[in-house]
Amino acid sequence: MRTVDTINQLLAQLPVGLSIGAVLLLAALGLNFTFGQMGVINMAHGELIMVGAYTAFVAQAWVGLPSSYALLVALPAAFAVTGLLGLALEAGLIRHFYGRPLDTLLLTFGIGLVLQQLARDVFGAPNVSVPAPPWLAGGLTVAGMHLPYARLFILALAAACVAATAYYLSRSRSGRRMRAVIHNRDLAAVSGIAVRRVDAATFFLGSGLAGVAGVALTLIGPTGPTTGTNYIVDAFLVVVVGGLGQLRGTVLAAFALGLLNAMVEPWSGASLAKVVVFAAIIVFLQLRPQGMFTVRTRALT
Amino acid sequence: MLEVRGLCSGYGRARVLFDVDVAVRAGQVACVMGRNGVGKTTLLNTVMGLIPAVGGSVVFDGVDVTRAPTHVRVRSGMGYAPQGHETFAPLTVLENLKVAADGLPRSGEAIEEQLELFPRLRPLLNRRAGLLSGGQAQQLAIARALVAGPRLLVLDEPTEGIQPSIVAEIVEVIGQVAARGVAVLLVEQYLDVALGLADTVTVLDAGRVVHSGQAADLSREEAARLLAV
Ligand SMILES: Nc1ncnc2c1ncn2[C@@H]1O[C@H](COP(=O)(O)OP(=O)(O)OP(=O)(O)O)[C@@H](O)[C@H]1O
Ligand SMILES: [Mg+2]
Repeated sequence: MRTVDTINQLLAQLPVGLSIGAVLLLAALGLNFTFGQMGVINMAHGELIMVGAYTAFVAQAWVGLPSSYALLVALPAAFAVTGLLGLALEAGLIRHFYGRPLDTLLLTFGIGLVLQQLARDVFGAPNVSVPAPPWLAGGLTVAGMHLPYARLFILALAAACVAATAYYLSRSRSGRRMRAVIHNRDLAAVSGIAVRRVDAATFFLGSGLAGVAGVALTLIGPTGPTTGTNYIVDAFLVVVVGGLGQLRGTVLAAFALGLLNAMVEPWSGASLAKVVVFAAIIVFLQLRPQGMFTVRTRALT
Repeated sequence: MLEVRGLCSGYGRARVLFDVDVAVRAGQVACVMGRNGVGKTTLLNTVMGLIPAVGGSVVFDGVDVTRAPTHVRVRSGMGYAPQGHETFAPLTVLENLKVAADGLPRSGEAIEEQLELFPRLRPLLNRRAGLLSGGQAQQLAIARALVAGPRLLVLDEPTEGIQPSIVAEIVEVIGQVAARGVAVLLVEQYLDVALGLADTVTVLDAGRVVHSGQAADLSREEAARLLAV
């Protein structure tokens, strides 16, 4: 009897776990480019997510787009805004610190603080909320499980972003160049590739995906200057556990962490859940320091 | 086609090359020789801009490229197959060629030409380059260097650690490429291969040129003596 209860309880957490996983995946997907592939520890990635979330806010509160389609405008807009912001940071600052991970960490941590303060100055310290489109209100009930449409949308968005990323890397000309530069910079240069330009493009994509993640976050909670910062540690963990730069690994790790979080939380509360998850990750990395899949990256030198 | 004058370079504060002069004419093979660690690879990497020159100049086809970034040199007609038959391991053989051919007006034809030159690559097009044997990888590396149609081909020990039958094929390709008017700058350790292909020979020792001249004027004994210094 007890076991049946437990199983039911776990099953009930499944949708929550999947949707936490989807959010983590969106947050980690951009890091998979900048950290996983380029080796840049961008601590400001969380703030890029925050900027994406505020882009969704601006689309409704300032531009006045109706909530019925503001979300669909905000997604590409946030991609462009955070992509360009990331591009500017790369070209203006981060680029000069390639090959110096500790300096990069401190620099981007500082950039993150500046962005948070800017958000406070522009939007105020209290959280704002972004009305979800009416067509995402409500949800499905399948086999006794309640699946809110907003969570399903995030799941679909994450799937679409993964598919687009995979397609871009494996099929497009510039994705091919990106893989070449990541594998061997000198050989790429010797093949006529402008490696600096590819670095910039990689950063643009990674940062743009952070913006998309930010828009998704507005669907499940209020937006504030530290939105995104809450996800940054988990997102880095996802990329590390997944095996730096490995798309498959990132996807699996995000959902594994999401599910683990959701399963542990009902018994232990949120903060103990974090501890359990961290412990599980440490054990995992002891057993498999290279992550789920083999690392095939070259840090920038 | 290529004129290297007084080239100095190194790694950080460690100087490796001192006042090196090398020249290659169109259609000729200039061979650079020397024992392990004398600076042959450093010379080629500096010529290609992967290592900055500390002094001297690199002039390609009348244009001073000493400060030009590597990809600009490549696009202006300098092809390079680095030491160790390097390829993009996670990419397929075809993708390896496409990476270097992208942006060319006739990239499909350019790749086709390479497959005619290296027929062994044709059945391997969809295989990951990381799975190729050393000989296959070297052929791919040279094909990648040639695909953009360079007027100068720079090769670093293309026969190193490769089985004799494929060495013969590679030697033949280098001869064909030179016969088409491409200038070839070749680093080669095997005396037979080097003297068989070379029009001119430059011998380095400890980062300096210790011999330079026409290959025809260099006897085997003299060459062996220079390399054994
Ligand atoms: N990345 C590097 N950093 C510091 N020193 C280096 C580096 N690469 C090579 N060297 C040094 O520079 C010198 C020349 O090396 P280089 O690779 O040019 O020699 P080489 O003639 O190509 O040798 P080989 O025949 O073994 O290929 C050597 O003393 C080597 O130790
Ligand atoms: Mg060498």
